[in-house]
Parts: sequence; C-alpha cells; structure tokens
Amino acid sequence: MKLSLNWIKDYVKLPDDMDLSRLAYDLTMSTVEVEGAENLAERFDKILVGEICEVLPHPNADKLRVCKVDVGMDEIKDIVCGGSNLEVGMKVVVACPGAMVRWHGEGEPVEIKNAKLRGVASFGMICASVEVGLADLFPADDHEIMDLSAFDIPAGTPLADALDLNDIILEIDNKSMTNRPDLWGHYGIARELAALYDLPLVEFTPYVPETTNTYDVRIKDIDRCPRYIGAKIEGLGVKPSPFAMQSRIWRVGMRPINALVDVTNYVMLATGQPTHVFDSNHIINHIEVRRAEEGEKLQLLNDKELTLSNDDLVIADAEGAVALAGVMGGAKDSVLPETDSVILEVANFESKGVRRTALRYDNRTEASSRYEKAVDPERCDQALSMAMQLFSELYPEMKVTAFKDLYEKKLERAEIDVEFEWLDRRLGKRIPQEIVAKKLGTMGYEVTFTETGMHIVVPTWRSTGDVSIKADIMEEVARMYGYENFEATTITTSFDGAINQLSVDLVRKIKEYLAFRCNMQEIFTYPWMSDEFVHALMPNTDGILALATPPSPTEKYVRSSLLPNICKAIAKNERNFPEFDIFEEAQIFYDGDYTENYAGEKLPAQKKHLGCAFVGSPDKVAELFRNAKGVIGAMPRYTHMEGFTFEKLEKPYWADETVWLNIMLNGKKIGDLALLSKKSALACGIKVLSAVLVELDMDALVPFKSRTNRFTHVPEFPRNDYDLSFLVDAMTKWSDIYALLTEKKNELLRDVQFVDEYRGKQIPEGKKSITIRLVIGSDEKTLTGEEIEAVAKSAVKKLQKNLEAEFRMA
Amino acid sequence: MKEKLEALLREGTARIEAAKSEAELQEIKGSLLGKQGSITELLKEIPKLDVALRPEMGKAVNNVKNLLSEQIEGRREALKLKASEIPQDFDCTVPGFEPKIGGLHPITQMCYDLNDAFRSMGFEVFSGPEITSEYYAFDNLNFPPNHPARESMDTYWLEGHDTGAANDKLCLRPHLTGDSVRYMQTHKPPYRFVYPGRVYRNETTDARHERAFFQYEALIVDKDFTYTAGKVMIKSILSKVFGQDVPVRMRAGFFPFVEPGFEIDMGCLVCGGKGCSVCKHVGWIEIMPGGTPHPNVLRAAGLDPDEYTGFYVNIGLDRLVMMRYGVDDVRLFHSTDLRFLKQFH
Repeated sequence: MKLSLNWIKDYVKLPDDMDLSRLAYDLTMSTVEVEGAENLAERFDKILVGEICEVLPHPNADKLRVCKVDVGMDEIKDIVCGGSNLEVGMKVVVACPGAMVRWHGEGEPVEIKNAKLRGVASFGMICASVEVGLADLFPADDHEIMDLSAFDIPAGTPLADALDLNDIILEIDNKSMTNRPDLWGHYGIARELAALYDLPLVEFTPYVPETTNTYDVRIKDIDRCPRYIGAKIEGLGVKPSPFAMQSRIWRVGMRPINALVDVTNYVMLATGQPTHVFDSNHIINHIEVRRAEEGEKLQLLNDKELTLSNDDLVIADAEGAVALAGVMGGAKDSVLPETDSVILEVANFESKGVRRTALRYDNRTEASSRYEKAVDPERCDQALSMAMQLFSELYPEMKVTAFKDLYEKKLERAEIDVEFEWLDRRLGKRIPQEIVAKKLGTMGYEVTFTETGMHIVVPTWRSTGDVSIKADIMEEVARMYGYENFEATTITTSFDGAINQLSVDLVRKIKEYLAFRCNMQEIFTYPWMSDEFVHALMPNTDGILALATPPSPTEKYVRSSLLPNICKAIAKNERNFPEFDIFEEAQIFYDGDYTENYAGEKLPAQKKHLGCAFVGSPDKVAELFRNAKGVIGAMPRYTHMEGFTFEKLEKPYWADETVWLNIMLNGKKIGDLALLSKKSALACGIKVLSAVLVELDMDALVPFKSRTNRFTHVPEFPRNDYDLSFLVDAMTKWSDIYALLTEKKNELLRDVQFVDEYRGKQIPEGKKSITIRLVIGSDEKTLTGEEIEAVAKSAVKKLQKNLEAEFRMA
Repeated sequence: MKEKLEALLREGTARIEAAKSEAELQEIKGSLLGKQGSITELLKEIPKLDVALRPEMGKAVNNVKNLLSEQIEGRREALKLKASEIPQDFDCTVPGFEPKIGGLHPITQMCYDLNDAFRSMGFEVFSGPEITSEYYAFDNLNFPPNHPARESMDTYWLEGHDTGAANDKLCLRPHLTGDSVRYMQTHKPPYRFVYPGRVYRNETTDARHERAFFQYEALIVDKDFTYTAGKVMIKSILSKVFGQDVPVRMRAGFFPFVEPGFEIDMGCLVCGGKGCSVCKHVGWIEIMPGGTPHPNVLRAAGLDPDEYTGFYVNIGLDRLVMMRYGVDDVRLFHSTDLRFLKQFH
C-alpha cells in the first residue's frame, strides 16, 4: 500500500523537520514494514514550466516545429517539438538537460541532453504527459503535449512546485498489516504516528442528517452485513474532481475518474472504509442487502458477467442484484455521464464472505481487500462524515433528500484486565503508568487504572479480532514504548541431565554413514509421486493416500514408498552421470494402521523410510549388487544398532526375477534390496543404466544405547591365507559353500572368505569358477606347512564330495 | 707391488663411487675381493716376497682390502637410500585423483549445524508427522475458524479427508508449529526443543516460492521468560552458525500463534549493514518470525498461560541455505540434480 506523507499530515501534525528515515524506521519497528520511501519531487528534477513565445517551422522537417520558449532563464530557448497542439502563450512542461523522461511513456527513463534535431539545436524537450508519468492526471492524445495553461504559474517554476508534488510516498508491505484492518487508510497510520511521537490526532465531526426522509434500506442477512447507511444525494453531476484530490488519488496508485467516484475512493484511501455511489435513477424502489439466488446473473462494472452462488452477498433493488457487496458495483447502476443524483453507500460487510466471493470470481478489488481484513462497523461514521463534507465542498448545491443508517448488529468492544505484576514480569521492567496511559489513550483505548492493574476497553477498530487478550495489550505497550528500549536479559537454565536421543542420533549416523563412508549423495524429493512412476513400480494404487488439490493432475498420490521418486531422480541424472549412488530419508504414508491420540486425532500410518539407489552400467550389475549389499550389510556395525540379515521371502513387485533380497531384523522383514527389473526401469524412462534399489523402514531400527564393539586380541601366531580355485555347478550358492566348510568346527580354520567368481570362455557351460580363501592359524603355535596343507586338503575333500567341485591341479 | 696396490685402490674407489646399483656393486666386490679378485691375487703373492718386506706389505694389502670393503658397504647403504625406480620424466604437475565422495543435502547440513548449536544450549530435537489433522495444523494454534490459510488454495488437504470437523480433516502439514503442541502434550515443562522439518503449501512456484520447503522451529517455555531473552537466544544461534557476531533486531509482526509476534531481522553479512543489493539496501534481512506463544497455544498444550510463557522462532531453512551459498532458485533443492547437489561438501 502506498501512503502520501502530506495526506497523513492532514490528521497528525508531524514536525516539519521530521527525519524521514527515522519515521520509516520507527514505523517498521513498531507497526508495519516500510519497504521504501520516495520523494515524488525527485522524479521531476530539472523539469520546469515553460511558456511558448513563438512557434516557427522547422527548416528540415515538416512535422517538427521550433518553439521559442521562456523557461524563466536569462534567454528564450529554442526547443524542437513535434506536438500537434502547440500554440503561442501555451504553458508547457519542459524537460531541461539532465532531466529523466520516458520516451513516449515507454521503456526505462532516459536522460535529456542538449541535442540537435534534424540540424536544429534544441534545449531539452517539451513533454507529453506520458513522458513525465502524469498521463493519469493529464490524459491526452498521442501527439499532444501536456498543457498547463489552466494553471496560474509563472514560467520557470519547477513542475513539482507547480503541481504541488513535493510529497513523500511511503510503500508499506501489505503482508505486514493483514491483521490490522485499521491501518488500510491514511488515518490509521496517522493514529500510530500520533501514539509513537505523542502528537495530537485530528478527530472527525460526525455527520448529522438534516433530512427526515427515510431511505428504504433492508438487510436480509445481518451477519453478513451488520450495518448499511444509504443516503440519496441530489444536485450532483459528473465533472472532474479538483486537481488536488486527483493528485492525491494518483500519488497512492489509483486513477482519478470523476468527482463522484473520486470522492468514494478518496474516502476509502483516507479512512480505510470503502464506499460506493449508485446512480439513484437506476435503483428501483429500495436497497436490499441479501444473499444472491443460486444462478442469479450480475454484470459487474468491469463488464464481467457473473452467475452468482447463494453464498454471495449482493446489493439489490426491487428488480435484482445491482452490486456484489463489498467487492464491486454492477454495470447497470454505475455512475454514468448523465448522473445527477446518487445513492451513497457506506456499509459494513463481514470479512470472510467478502473474501470468498472475491476469490470465487477472481475479482479482488481495493474494497474487497479491505473488507476481508475485518473492518469495524463504526468506521462508517468517519467515512460518512468525510464523504458528506467533500460532496458539499464540490457541489455547494447538493441536498441529501433521504437517509437511513441501519445498524442492527452492534460491534462489542473487547474489554481486558491487565495486572501490573504480570505486565512487569513479561516485559522485564516497569513502564511508568503515565506513559502507558498516554500511548494506549492515543491509540483509542479507554484505560481505567486500579491499584493493581488496569481495565481496558478496546477501540472498535481494534475489536474485530485483532486485540482481545492481555498479551495483546502487552504488545501494544511494548511496541509503542519501543522494542529496542528493553535491555536484553539472559536465559537461565536448570541442569537436568544431558540430551540423550538415540533414535534422533541414529538417523543422523545413518545419513552420515551413507554420505561420508559410502560416498552416496543425499537427495530430496517431493512427497507426491508422478502417476507413471507409481504404475511402473507398484501393482496397484490400493491404500495410497491422495491429495484433494494436487500440484498437477498426474501427481495426486502421496508417497507410500520412496522408490518412485528415486527412480525419477535416476532417470533425470543418467543423462549426466555414467554411475552414481543416491539416498533419501523421508516419511512415507498409507491409508491404514490409523493411530488415535488422546485428543481424538486419528492419523494414517506414517513411517520414516530410507531409499537408496546404486546406479551404473548394466554390465556391472554384480558389482552394483555387491556394493548395495555391502553398504546395507555393514550399516548396523558402523551406526551402532541391531544387525540385519538377508533372506529371500517375498520378491518386491518392481524387482528383477533373480537379483533380490529381503532385509530382515529379528525375524521381521524391514526392507528390500534388489535390482530394478528391466520392465520397471523402462516404464520409469531409465533407458541406459541399471539400478540396484534399497528401501528400508527406519522406524524399525533398534539403536544400541552405547557402542558395543568388543576388543579382540591381535593374534599372537601368524594367520595364513590359503586360496582355492575350483569349478562347480553354476547354480551353486556361496552360502552353501560357506555353510559346508564351517558347519563342523575346525579349530585351525579361522575363516572362509569369498574372493571371486568367474563365468566365461574357459569355463564349461553350466559351470562357474570360484575362488575362496581359507584363513588358517592356531592360537598356540606357528603352524607348519604340513599342518596348513592338512586343513586345506580337508576343505578340498569336502568340496569334492558334496559339491562335485573340480580342482585344477597346479 | 706398492704401485700396483695404490693403483688398485684408486681404480677400486673410482669404480665403487661410480656404481649405479647394488648388482653392479656386487660385481665390483667380486672382482676386487672375491676368490679370484685382484686384492686376493695380491695377497697370494705376499709369500713370494722377501721375508723382511712381508709383514709391511701384508699389512698394506690388508689395509686396502678393508678400505675397499668399507667403501663398498658405504656405497651399498647410499644406493639403498637413494634407490628410485621412477624415471625422471615423471610429471608431478598432473592433477590428483578426485576422491569419490558423497554428501549430505545442503539443507541437511544447515539443519545439523543448527541442531549442534541448539543442543549445545540444551535443546532436544523432535519431529512430528507430516500428515496432520486440521486440529493440530490450525485449531490448536489459534487460527480462527475461517482463516484463509485453511483453504485449499493454501493447504494440501487429502482426498476423502478434506471435509468435516477438525479431527476428520487431514492435510500435509502447512507449518511445523503444530508439532510443538504435540511435544508439549507429551512432555513436562519447562521445554526447550527444536523441531525441524519439511512443510507444504499449495502455491505457484517460482525462484523464491516452493510447494515443499524446510522450516526449523525452536521453542522455549518456562516461567518468567521475557521476549528480550528470545533475542539473546537468536543472536547466540546465528552467531554460532555464521561464525561471527550477527546483529539481530526484532520488530512488530503478526502470526496467529504468537502474541506478541515479531519479524526478526539479521544484519546483512554481505555488506555489514551498510546496504547492498542482497538486503535491498536496508542493511537488514528478514530471517524469521518469532514471538511469545499465544495463550491459546499454551492452553492447548495443557499449560496455564499466566504461569508459563516462552519464545518461538521459525527459521526458513531454505532461505538460510540460499544465503549461505548464494543459491538463487529455491526449486533447486528438490531438483535431485546431482550437478547441483554435489557442490556442497
């Protein structure tokens, strides 16, 4: 919202030497965020009023003229101009060298320089109103220059002085005052400044109607319309409003239209209370405020054709809707060129209804944006007073011929008791009573002091939800006293044990393990899944929750697994990387296992999951698989939790037929580790690379209370590695070989390790070559070669006998 | 014979000095001191000499023999220490191998930095469910029944759970504050905890707006806690995270769940408060809202607001990370683009 400082000064007399940056800072700290302050006059620097003394033809161009112009300097200047309305004696706007103008009102402002135009030197330029940004105040045709002849100002006067544009425009962040309906006009900000600087605030004289005729106003829904003032005013007419009024309206970002409309806008900008005028000749019989009929039609001022809902509130006459209450007038009843009498509407509409209607038709207006903040009904008095004052100034002949103020649902002012003891404790210091009284008083609070506290009646304009409890009063006192005038206090603490959160720590340990020990990159994805990935990885969408208003029509499912989005990330990254390992930790959800808390809240299942992808070339699937298995298998050891096992119980839907495992903890399946099947990969758009995926339920993990690894002695006598290579049936499992060699305890065989396996050229069909390592050693002595050979031979025999292993003799 | 001996010593010494490898040295040793070595041959000739000359010559030859032996051993040691099999054209300017390194998401990193800072001040870390009821998302937090934020244009309601009473309506959490009530309802005061997490808003995205973004809330609840102590808390945390003294100011702000509420600004670290494009020339950057928990929130948590008070802060994590690294598009955080994510180690 834009505010004119001159306008504010109508209501609070700020000192002339008020430091602007101080004012902006104080307002920002105590009330609303001032985003900027512009000195309007600076826009018109080096732009002067000139008077045309002579208009001569241009020697080299038919459409240009050479004007002799008096710009209040020692000599008459030559200025080349193409304006179509140049006349001797005309007062014009001259942009002197150094001024900034916008060529034909377009693009960025450019600096005017002394230049020759088609061979004739020109001192600056004679401007059209668009070129100095004043088209709204001086509407003109394309080739017309701006005519100031109507103003009684001598040549050489700076334009800003001539048009009284020496004003500061404050830009307020609207977000910072959504809760303050009282601030959406100049008067409201003036009231804050009065309280900040302890200055008096101008009061409005209430309007007293002279007529005894009653205007017929009917309210059918007093919840939606607590108050409606209708006044029939005659003796008016359509004409431009005075320049000063137009100028103010323009400065704060609206466009002057005509005197009747300008008055309503001016009143709104001043008080924050929207008002409206209907052409009374088009209002049949009476004004009625009611809900719209379902399907009722209304054409708005901006020519939008609406089909209304029963939730909309309309202003209607005997024949039908004439305006969308609090949002916009209708086309039928608006001010027309021949309008000479109006119905002035000053009304209060309930905030949420106005908001719903404005949003329903995507038709937010200056009026609706104010109403939706909850304007208080008593502000109608101020607006009425000001509107009547302005009408009588602009139209001395005007007469109010009928009047009605229907105010049936009175606003209750909030009343709050505040104890000093509480206030002091919360503020950390005592603020003198007279300061509290003065600040609150200026802001409109009625304060009665008692021995131990105060009784406060909140002003109406703060009683629409803004101020209702003692914490609100504390805030009012603190911000007006100045937040920066309170000394910082330290935080005291009571020591009651160290923070010990095993589950929280475990999540971090796992993520750091994956990132720093396993060289994987953490990613974040959205909680909604794209349909194509859901269908690629899941048999159906049973039990998957969905969003009512999804980000896009194909992203309504809320993730029940991390894998769809991880696959999306794989498809995206395979274009740039030949191999990569990624992981994500996030919550997943499904429509089931609802839990209810004591407050009766029932929430669907939500679990913390870990998803991983090991991605690389398809000819390295075995490597990807062993990487994944190694990372997951070693995770419990490095992150200090109960260990996993791998089993083959239930193939995940998305997994390859052969390469898959379930991750087990204490006999329960807590996750999967598998190669993404070719079919699923293609459905995900993963075209080049293979991926081994892991998904794990992190809520099922059991952290150890502390580190549990035990120290083992370093062996005193040497351990000997003894490698064996042999051929076995290709279907033989490593787990079978391991079990075979370790089922019977052999004191000297310390370990059996997998080294390598190979299928290929020299290996017969249906066989594979496998290399294993026996770790042989004793705790009592250094073994002799014969003793070591004996252990190895026994292993060889077992393998030959049980697995028909063929050893290649050395 | 004497000349012969001296010549042998000279030649031997020269050969030993010139030896380039242990193998060569071994060969030299053999040719001098071996069974048919020149020195050995000389020794064999001593008995043939005049008796009077024998002891002197014997001694002289033995001397040379020992001298050469020492030289050979010395040279052998020297060769061992100098040993290098690497050709001299080895290029040391070739770049090193990049370690294959993973990493945490930059937002996780910032979150952990904050966790460490808050934990050092005795705060617990808490997290709540991302799907919540309207009751915890709005009602408990003093949002009026018709607050605009509740509408579907702002909040992601779940299909089939988007009508009815507070406990029937479910949504992706629009903010974290609801989780503070969950914590307070299940723990005993005084409270000191943080609850970072992701929140969701149904809105149009652009470089500065996301549908999913991260917040970091902290809440302290105790008897007699003034809002100025909140300022001390924020200043301590920011100064620790940014590694330098960070000026903080609190100004009027409004949020339903706090009263009084504040907008909290930190001094712009880019320009040191002088004003620059990053801080839009005001020297301050709006970093988080905060304030005293609204009495209705404390009541929802089962506390007496006359007895207890406290301080909330809500840090926009994305914003903080953007500032830390100069990231100019918030959507990059959920892009999963490794070319982006791999930059933050």
